[in-house]
Amino acid sequence: MLKLKKLSYSVTDTNANNETFRRNIISNFNFNFDGGRFYAITGPNGSGKTTLAKLIMGINPVTTGSIIFQDKEITSLSITERAKAGIAYSFQHPARFKGITFRELLSIAANTEDETKLLALIRRVGICSLSFLDKPVDSKLSGGEIKKIELATTIALNPKLAIYDEPDTGIDLWTIGPMVRLLKKEQKQHETTTLVISHNRAFLEAADIILLMNKGKLIYTGNLTGALPLLTDLSMCNYKECGEENVRCFR
Amino acid sequence: MLDALDRELLKAVAGLEDIPKGAYNIRKNGKLLVRETSANINIETNAEATGIIVTIKPATRNESVHIPVILSQAGLYDVVQNTFIIGEDADITIIAGCGIHCGTSRSEGHAGIHEFRVGKKARVKYVEKHFATGPGKGKRALNPTTKIFLDEGAQAEMELTQIGGIDKATRLNEAKLDARSLLLITERVLTDGNQSAVSKNLITLSGTDSRADMISRSVIKGNSKQNFYATIEALAKCFGHIECDAIIMDNGTNETVPSLKAKHPDAELTHEASIGKIASDQLIKLMSMGLTYDEAVNRIIQGFLMK
Ligand SMILES: Nc1ncnc2c1ncn2[C@@H]1O[C@H](COP(=O)(O)OP(=O)(O)O)[C@@H](O)[C@H]1O
Ligand SMILES: [Mg+2]
Repeated sequence: MLKLKKLSYSVTDTNANNETFRRNIISNFNFNFDGGRFYAITGPNGSGKTTLAKLIMGINPVTTGSIIFQDKEITSLSITERAKAGIAYSFQHPARFKGITFRELLSIAANTEDETKLLALIRRVGICSLSFLDKPVDSKLSGGEIKKIELATTIALNPKLAIYDEPDTGIDLWTIGPMVRLLKKEQKQHETTTLVISHNRAFLEAADIILLMNKGKLIYTGNLTGALPLLTDLSMCNYKECGEENVRCFR
Repeated sequence: MLDALDRELLKAVAGLEDIPKGAYNIRKNGKLLVRETSANINIETNAEATGIIVTIKPATRNESVHIPVILSQAGLYDVVQNTFIIGEDADITIIAGCGIHCGTSRSEGHAGIHEFRVGKKARVKYVEKHFATGPGKGKRALNPTTKIFLDEGAQAEMELTQIGGIDKATRLNEAKLDARSLLLITERVLTDGNQSAVSKNLITLSGTDSRADMISRSVIKGNSKQNFYATIEALAKCFGHIECDAIIMDNGTNETVPSLKAKHPDAELTHEASIGKIASDQLIKLMSMGLTYDEAVNRIIQGFLMK
């Protein structure tokens, strides 16, 4: 349902001698995502996961290559057009507003102001407290709260393709299990093609297919067992004890 | 008694569809149009006949007063001096506002000088909206002055809004707070075209444990200009905060100067100020939910100014 063909993204950068050069952030990325499946994208910090998601959503412009969504070329479509086509992105660092409440964001996403529908929605995403609905989405929210709101607005859009960028950051440990189950349930009930960017083992285990990125390239696709040795090689702290002998983990 | 234009202006500035219930005083083109008092609320013309004195009896609860001003007479500059005396322990809402309809090339304007004397432990919510409309090329000017005196334990919440169409505005807000009193001022100003607005604020925290919070939200469109000056002066153990945000669109300009003066060692004063374009992450978030660029801008500005 989503085909990435020879996708590259580069930016103009300057080196120590103040000379400009093109830096590749995503290089020649090829992959076909099948409809209704659950994908986990992982890889070290700075490997280009967020950049890839923003290329799909249209937030970053593609340098070369193309993006095909449901057999249509969307490479040059705007963010709004891609959203209307059914792509949704849950930001790693969600925007904070002044004067916009969770209720309003949810109403935009769900395209309704109907109280009963909004209440049904927040129940669907597992937010129990009704008072949460009238919280301003501003700088006073905690990191975990804003991530829950971000996830809820994405689900409320009923997207065909949902991309969640590190949905578990800032979320307390005992909420991660329910969050994984929620995204799996959405995937099953609504046949949502789901891409979760995460380092969390719970998401990697829940995924049908794992994509491992390093330095802007796709270096592995397959199941978790096959990914584990590579993940260890990339010094992913999540997967081994950090002893004193392994200082690389602290980068 | 109200014509269609009066109704339009009243709706914009006071949310009124018709003559309100309870106490009110409607002033049209520099003259009293209608007035109604209630058992607890008296309204009378002052001795100099330059405005009104609104007196709220002590312990009056859940009542409101509407005092809108509407202008649609070419060339008129209406100056009014109003005093509000709010009795101890009262809890009251006052809705003021000025609507200008300018149909000719002659200028029209209004200067409302409002003084509030809020008694011990009384609470007042004051809502003031300014709005101008009409096809005329005449300049629409507004120069509101608000002076607030809070007795011990009194609370005042002031919402001052200028929603558009005003060519030139100079606002002046002054407040003096006694012990344990609380003041919250929220000022929202939208300018466009070649309009200009200046807001000057001076809050004096003179009583122990007094608190003041001044919030300013400005949206500056077109070639318009807005300047904001706010000073909190602390003379006692107290708490004061200024928060001013300006969003610049197009070629607008802004000068924001918050100033804090502590003249007591236990004063706690803070400020936050920002000037900038609409944050791109906010725009992108709304567009990623299917809004167009323009729709996203409108939602952000609406939220920023209306709440
Ligand atoms: N617009 C940009 N200009 C310059 N560098 C960028 C830009 N966007 C991302 N990068 C860089 O690209 C790399 C990948 O970033 P990102 O996609 O956020 O990684 P990840 O999400 O995997 O941690 C980082 O080194 C980041 O600093
Ligand atoms: Mg990232």
